[in-house]
Formats: sequence, structure tokens, C-alpha cells
Amino acid sequence: MYSLIKKMVCCAGTSGSEKKIAEVIRGEIAPYVDEITYDALGSLVALKKGTAAEGEKKKILLCAHMDEIGFMVTFIEDNGMLRLAPLGGINFTAAAFSEVVFENGTRGVIVPEAGTKPEDLKADKFYVDIGASTAGEASRRVSVGDRFALVQYTTRLSKNRIVGRPIDDRAGCAVLIEIAKRIFGGCRDDVYFAFTVQEEVGCRGARPVGFAVAPDVAIAFDVTGVGDVPGAKPMAVSLGDGAAIKVRDASVICDAGLVDQLHKIAADKKITHQTEVLISGGTDTSSLQMAGAGCAAGAISIPSRYIHSGVEMIDLRDAEACAALGTAYILGE
Amino acid sequence: MSEIDLKQLIFDLAGLMSVSGSTAHDSKKLIDLIGGYFDEVHTGAVGNHLFIRRCGKENAPKILVDTHYDEIGMCVTQVKDDGFLTVTNIGGLDTRILQASEVTVYGRDADGNEHNIYGVVGSTPPHLQKPGDANKLKPIDELLIDTGYTKAELEKYVRVGTPVGFRPKYLELKNGLIAGKGFDDKSCGACAVAAIASTPHEELWGDVYLLFSSFEEDGAFMVGASAGAFAVDPVCALVADVNLAHTPDTKKNETVEVNGGVSVTWSPLTDKRLNRILMDEAKEKGIKTQLSVCPGGTGTNATVVGLVGRGIPTVDVGLPLKSMHTCTEVISMEDAAALRDIIALFITSRKIAEDLK
Amino acid sequence: MENKKVTEEKLSGIKLLRDLCLTFGPTGCEEAVADEICRQLEGTTDAEITRVRCGNVYAVLHGETKNGETAKKVMLSAHTDEVGFIINEIDSDGYLKFSCEGGIDPRVLCGRHVTFRGKDGDVAGVIASKAIHHQTADERKTATKVKDMYVDIGAKNKEDAEKYVAVGVWGTFDSDFVVFGENDRYMKGKAIDDRLGCAVIIETLRRLKAEGKRLPFDLYCAFTVREEIGRSGAQIAAQTFEPDYAIVLESTAIADLPDVPANSRVAKVGDGGVISLADRSTVYDREFVDGTMKIAAQKNIPAQIKRYVSGGNDAGHIHKAARGTKTLAVSAPTRYLHSASCVAAAADFDSIRELIYAVLNGYSF
Repeated sequence: MYSLIKKMVCCAGTSGSEKKIAEVIRGEIAPYVDEITYDALGSLVALKKGTAAEGEKKKILLCAHMDEIGFMVTFIEDNGMLRLAPLGGINFTAAAFSEVVFENGTRGVIVPEAGTKPEDLKADKFYVDIGASTAGEASRRVSVGDRFALVQYTTRLSKNRIVGRPIDDRAGCAVLIEIAKRIFGGCRDDVYFAFTVQEEVGCRGARPVGFAVAPDVAIAFDVTGVGDVPGAKPMAVSLGDGAAIKVRDASVICDAGLVDQLHKIAADKKITHQTEVLISGGTDTSSLQMAGAGCAAGAISIPSRYIHSGVEMIDLRDAEACAALGTAYILGE
Repeated sequence: MSEIDLKQLIFDLAGLMSVSGSTAHDSKKLIDLIGGYFDEVHTGAVGNHLFIRRCGKENAPKILVDTHYDEIGMCVTQVKDDGFLTVTNIGGLDTRILQASEVTVYGRDADGNEHNIYGVVGSTPPHLQKPGDANKLKPIDELLIDTGYTKAELEKYVRVGTPVGFRPKYLELKNGLIAGKGFDDKSCGACAVAAIASTPHEELWGDVYLLFSSFEEDGAFMVGASAGAFAVDPVCALVADVNLAHTPDTKKNETVEVNGGVSVTWSPLTDKRLNRILMDEAKEKGIKTQLSVCPGGTGTNATVVGLVGRGIPTVDVGLPLKSMHTCTEVISMEDAAALRDIIALFITSRKIAEDLK
Repeated sequence: MENKKVTEEKLSGIKLLRDLCLTFGPTGCEEAVADEICRQLEGTTDAEITRVRCGNVYAVLHGETKNGETAKKVMLSAHTDEVGFIINEIDSDGYLKFSCEGGIDPRVLCGRHVTFRGKDGDVAGVIASKAIHHQTADERKTATKVKDMYVDIGAKNKEDAEKYVAVGVWGTFDSDFVVFGENDRYMKGKAIDDRLGCAVIIETLRRLKAEGKRLPFDLYCAFTVREEIGRSGAQIAAQTFEPDYAIVLESTAIADLPDVPANSRVAKVGDGGVISLADRSTVYDREFVDGTMKIAAQKNIPAQIKRYVSGGNDAGHIHKAARGTKTLAVSAPTRYLHSASCVAAAADFDSIRELIYAVLNGYSF
């Protein structure tokens, strides 16, 4: 699982610019599925056909988002410094003084204006220094509209724990690919693996995917917050305690029947699991539930520390548990 | 058909457990209670219930009547020592009514059987309060529900995410006012059932689809109504929801009056022609109405229903309600009867049928 | 919800307490509680019952002394009043404005059912305030003040409301008595403070009669008014009888809640009657406290020492009244005191009754 997550993480793909990561994913999943399509917004949908007769099988949609939070260049100053706009929920305190990388490989550092107070750390106080000394020099390397993000990387801190970015939600993409491998031998229902675009800017990519597939059941695989670090608000999710079965987050209340079913499967198959109630933050789950006539939607989350920072951390055993639970759900039907 | 006791039906419906996300919890009880008045009953993917009453004609137009069946409540966030629970809100719960309130924790045993647990929301003893604390409202995540269980026993039935609702208890006040939990919006549901059930099939101008939608109070934005309307694909819709009523501490221009009749929403999202017909005919029949002016949105499912598919002409009617999102919401039976009558008017009005042709 | 069968059985044991808790008796309007106590005592005790002008009820049981000694005088006291409300204005729309009788945290009021004892019977209402939709962001973090709350009884306007109630009419919480928790170990209701104390005294008198006991001292039982506002009828009782010893039966606020430090928890529900060393109104007689704890230990009756100096009760008046009285307070540990939903343990009710009986029979007064 680690090598797969590493492949997913080390590739750029800010919201609205996911082509590169999509191609990496397509290469990985292609051997295990029957059809692969891109939709109008760029989401990748891979179909593994079920063995049951038409009319007797369900449509199950599994979903993870490919995009990561990042930035876009909005203006180039005379002195070669770049001004920027955020794409997604940037934590500027966490982003300050970090190394960034552009899609064309240009490197730079993101820095707040000198003397900015911590409480004033907002987008318009930041600039990117790419080592250019004039606007002309900068313009030869980047243009207004170019995307960049904090450097993508991953490091294995211990046997089970890895840190890096964007773990959110490439770890979910890896889990989906892993499930595709594990059900390659055949499954009863049609399973759609959707790698969606533009989640970080408001769960936009999943909506058309949900509408087009019109699934009976949809499950999102994404990261969730934890309550096991100093100063965290109480939350009954901890790193290493297994797949987090989502009950609700700020954007959605999951289908109660699906939540119960996932708990039962996890208990029966002895897959480590926990229950998630996330007070703030949303996922593609809401968009999947809202498309067309609606579907039973839920989510299996990978507990993560320090989400939307340059040091997102997960426990590999949790990712494995998510893959195991997703697989068991599909094969157990 | 015997006359439906509207007040009893309101108590019965409001007393069901239907916290957003758990609208399937009392599904059987709901269907046992009102299913008999309809020709077909369906349950939907997002927790909706759909009750259909046919007019008897082939290819009849479809009329959608939407009331949301979900209600505000809470869900468990932690199971603590000595049988205490912490919770978070589901929907815009008014936190100030929580201390000393009585709740039901809707637990289940290992086999999935219901195991309801009574609980009391605790308050802070004086010696633990600092000066001025009594002026601060405790945020919901700092309140504790006392169940009287040991932690080990409680964990057999309750986990993170277990829904919690107010203990149903209803009061009759003077002048036909009633108080209790869940009137938002199941009192309107009861009015709709009473209206539809008491109208003979042949008087309907189309097949009536009564949608008890989910997720109005919380969850993905009004997904119950949008998914439900998408599935029905009706020629028009009437959304009935409760409306904020005037109290001494609110402005008259932002509220409607209890005992002032059904509120008819006048907003860019509602259909002007249907509104006019409805109000004119209500006046002819002596049904009391009042106008509720809502620039922007309606704050109800009408916000999304009108936008479904190729667009659905929608009217939004309201039942004046005081103390919304508490366990002591107050409505008037006089207004409820007027709402019942206006819904009956909507599904039988030949003028409306003509206008939509 | 509540398991009906178990609840019914359990209730038969604590039916007395339930009846007392459900009785209407805010401070200043305790007559119905006095009526109920007299009704409960009638025929079940040999004590002489009197009601006095201030509202107190006394039950006096003379003892049997040896060798013509003057009998010692021991008083048991419990208060009959409960926290409540009084109407101070009826507004033009027919809503009732009110003040609180006794110390009520304003945060436990909104959304509660209340009953006012009107001219022609009880009137139901709910305590309301502005709907959440109309509250500003600041208001959502601020507790509503009592002066901004109002009771909705469904009246059309002031004139209509005045058909049922008037300024000066008393009210209290309307709250069911519920037995709940694992093995039905807890009881929830209004006015557990201090109907539980009243119930303990009534049960003690009944048991003395049932067992044919004659105590070697005079026993004065006082059911007193107006504890909650500190202008206590207990003072009058103490001045009337001038007892040598007094035991105050009370309820005490505790905080045996998660994340509260051990010392601040005060006491634990279910661990027996709470015996005070000191509170804000009284330093209790140490010999009486120790002797009582010793009897509890000998008889294996759960009892606990209050771990915090807080609160105050009728003992404050009693121990200073007349020539002074050696005083003991035994309280039921009670969560969420002074709200519609006080919670106490059935086991503590039993322990306190046992302890009082044992002390009356075993302590050398």
C-alpha cells in the first residue's frame, strides 16, 4: 500500500488541473477494470462490471478526489514577486515560509509580508519568491493563472505512520485502486471507481459523476480529522484505530442503513474500525447524495492528523482497513 | 370516510422519531399511522417517504405536496465514564433549551433491536460556576447527558453517531394552542394528510404525491426535497412548512401572526400566478391567509423544489409557529385547520389545473 | 421509553416521594404540600399533628423517659417549598413575565413546561424566548436573562390572560417523576429538593409506629416553609421547640460528573446520605457527625462526608436559634438541583431512611 500511496502523492494536481494525476491513476487501475472514461469536468470513472444479470445488479459508486489544495498566480509585481489566490481551504499559518512547486517545475517559497501579525495571515498578505528580480524574469518562468502547491512528498516516519502531502486525498485514491485489485476476480454488482476533480473548492466534481452514474449506493473515501493530538477538540477518532465509518460531517448525514451495514461487516470480518462524527469540514459524500433522485451515500474515512498542512499524517494500517472494508462491502453483497 | 382528528394526528406524527438522518427509524410506525389513507407508499434512497393518492384518471397530472418529515435533534459524540454522553446538534437546535431537558437516546443492541434510553441534560452546580458564568450559554459540546448507566452497559447500545431526540410530551394551552417537539414540520405533514385523505379521489385534479422529505434541517442541502421532486417530476408543487411567528422580542415585519391563518410566501422563488389563484380562492372559501414576504429565498424546501428538472411551479405555504427548533414549539389548531383546508383547495382547484395546462 | 413493568414495581416503593414531588409548592405557596403531608401522615403515625399560621406542619411524638428525667428534645426538619416563579407582569399580548423564587440558573429555564396556580385552577404554559432564527451571533452565545423570558399560556391578549391568571400568581415546573437508568437506579423530577427530606421524615414516623417503638426522647418533626429564599420557617420551628439536637434532611448539589476534579465533585450519587462538616451557613457539631458516621459504619449503611464547603440550608437558622442546637445535616446527593430535572438515586433514599432510623435508635442524645 505504501508504494501505491507514494506514487499517488508525488504528483501535482490542484483543483481544476488534475490531468497529470488522473493519467497516473488511469495507468494504475486500467488492468483491473472493464471501462475507463473521463467526464466533462475531468473526473475519471472506471467501471468494473458485475457478474449478475442486468436488472438484478446494483450500481455501487466508490469515490475519492484527485485534487489537492494549492494556489494560483494572480499578479506579478515589478520586483518579480508573485501574488496569489488560494484554491481550496488553505491554512495560511501552516503554509507560511514553505517551499512551493509549480506544474512546470519552477520552485519558490511562499512568504507573508514582513511584519504581518499572525492573526492577519490571509491570502493578500502573501507572495511567492521564485528567485526572480524583475517582472520580466519572473514572466519567462511563470504566468498569471499558473498553479502551484506546497511541495509534494512523503516520508515514512515509522513502520506504520507516514507524513507528506497531499495525503488528502491521494491516500483515498490509493485505497480505491487497491479495492479494484482485490475485486478483480469478480463481483456481483457493477462497481464504478470515480476519481473526482474539484473537491477542495466545494465538492463540485462529484455532482455530475453522481448524476451520470445514478448509483444505488455511493461511498466516498477521504481523510478525516482526529481527536488524539494535544489541544484537539474532543473527537472519538484516533490515528491507528482503523477505518472511520462516517455518520455525519458538516455537509452531510450519511445513510443510516449503510452506516449500520458497514459496522456489521467490519465487526464480522474483524476489520478495525471506529465511528466518525466530524463537526466541521465536508466531503464529496454530500454531492453524491444530492445528484438526481439521490442515493444511499456514506463514507469510509482515513483518520489523518494535520490535514491541509504540509505535514499530513496517516497510519498505513488505517488505509489498509479502509481498503479491506470497501472490498468486504462489495464482495459481501 | 371518518373525519380525521387533526390534533391527535399532529401529536402522533410529531411524536415519531425522525431526527435528520434517521427518518427511516420509525418508518413502519409512520406507514401504519397514515399509509392506509393512500393508494401507494414508497420509501426513497435518501430517507424520503412518498404517499400517493390517485385521482382515477389515466395519465393524470402529478401534484407534489412536500412537507419535511425530518426534525432537529442531536447525535452522540462521546460515551464517557459513569454513563454520560456528549452530543452535537443536528439542525439548528436552540441550545438554550437544553439544560434540564429530557431526551431519548435511540440506542440499539448488538442484534440491531431498538433500545431506547432515557436521559437528562445536566446543568452546572453553583460551586463550579465563576461569577458571570450564568450569563454565558454553554455550547452544546460542553453539555452532558446523564443516562444513569455504567459506561460498559451503555456501550452495548450507544456509539458515536447514535441519534438523540427530545422526549415527546405535549401540552394544550388556552385558545387551541398546543406546545411540543417536532411540530416543525410534522404538524404541516399532519395537515396535508388530513387534507388529502378527506378529499374523495374523483375531486382531485391529478394524482397527489405527498412527499415526507428528509434532510431539510441538516445534511446535504435540502436533498430530500430535491431528490424527491426529481423522482416524481410533477407539474406543480406545494411546499408546506412552519413559519416564524411573532413573539414579544421579534419584529412584526419579520414574522407572521399565530391565529392569523395560513401564511402564503411571496418570494422570487414562488409562482406568482399560482399564489394569486390560491389566495383568491381561499378568500372565497373563507380560509384565513396572511402574506409572508420573503425577498431572496423562502428558507424552506421551496428553495430547491422549483429548480428541479425543467423547473416546477411552486407555492410555499406556512403554519405560524413560536419557539421554533425547541422542544416546546407552539402552534394554533385554528391555523392548522386553515392549512389543511388550503391544501385541500390546492389539490381540487380546477382553476389551478387550468392554469397549468 | 421507560420499561413500564419495572418502573411500576419500583414506583410502589417510592410512590410517596413521587406524590410529594408532583405536589405544587413554590416558596410562598406551600399549602398543597402541607395538605399532602398531613394526608400521608393521617392514620400512619401516633404523632400529634399541628399546622401553624406561618405554614409549617409539626408532628410531635413524646418519648418515654426513665426515672422521671426531663426528656431530651430531638428535631427532624425538612422544608416543604421548592424553587418556582411568580408573575410580575402580563403584557399586552397576553404573555406572562415572571421572577424566580429561589436561586435558579437562568440557563435551565427556556423550553420548560410550567404550571401556574390560577384563580380557577392550574394553567399550563411554556417558558419561551426569541427563536434561534432571530438571534444574533452574540445572542446565540449569551444566556437569556429571566427578565427577557416570558411564559406563553396561549392567551390572545392581556384581557384574555387575566381570565386565568394575575400578577402575584405562583408557578412551578411541570415535570414528570421518572425512574430511569440501569436497573432503574435514578429518579428524576422537580422538587426532589426537599420533598425527599419530607418523605424520609414521614417514613421514619410510619416505621416507628409499625415497629411499635417508643423513643427515649421527644421527637419533633418539622415540615417547614420558605427555605429557598433563606427566610426560613425552620427558624420558627427551632424557636418553638428549642430542641437539644436537630437533624436537617436536605438535598445537596453535587458535581459527580466527568472531567470534574475529585474534590469539586462534593459527593457521589448512590454512595449514601451526605453529611456536612461545614457549609456556608453552619459549622456542624463534630461529635454528632462522628457519632453518626460510626453508626453508619457499624450498620453497614452507606453514608459519605461532603467533600466541599458550599451551599447552605435551614441548619444555618436552626443551630443559632434560641439557646442554640447541636445540628446535623444529612442530604441526598442530587444532580441538577433547582431545575425541572433534579436527579437522585433510589439507593440514597433508602440509605438515608435507614441511617436516620439507626441514629434515632442508636445515638446517645
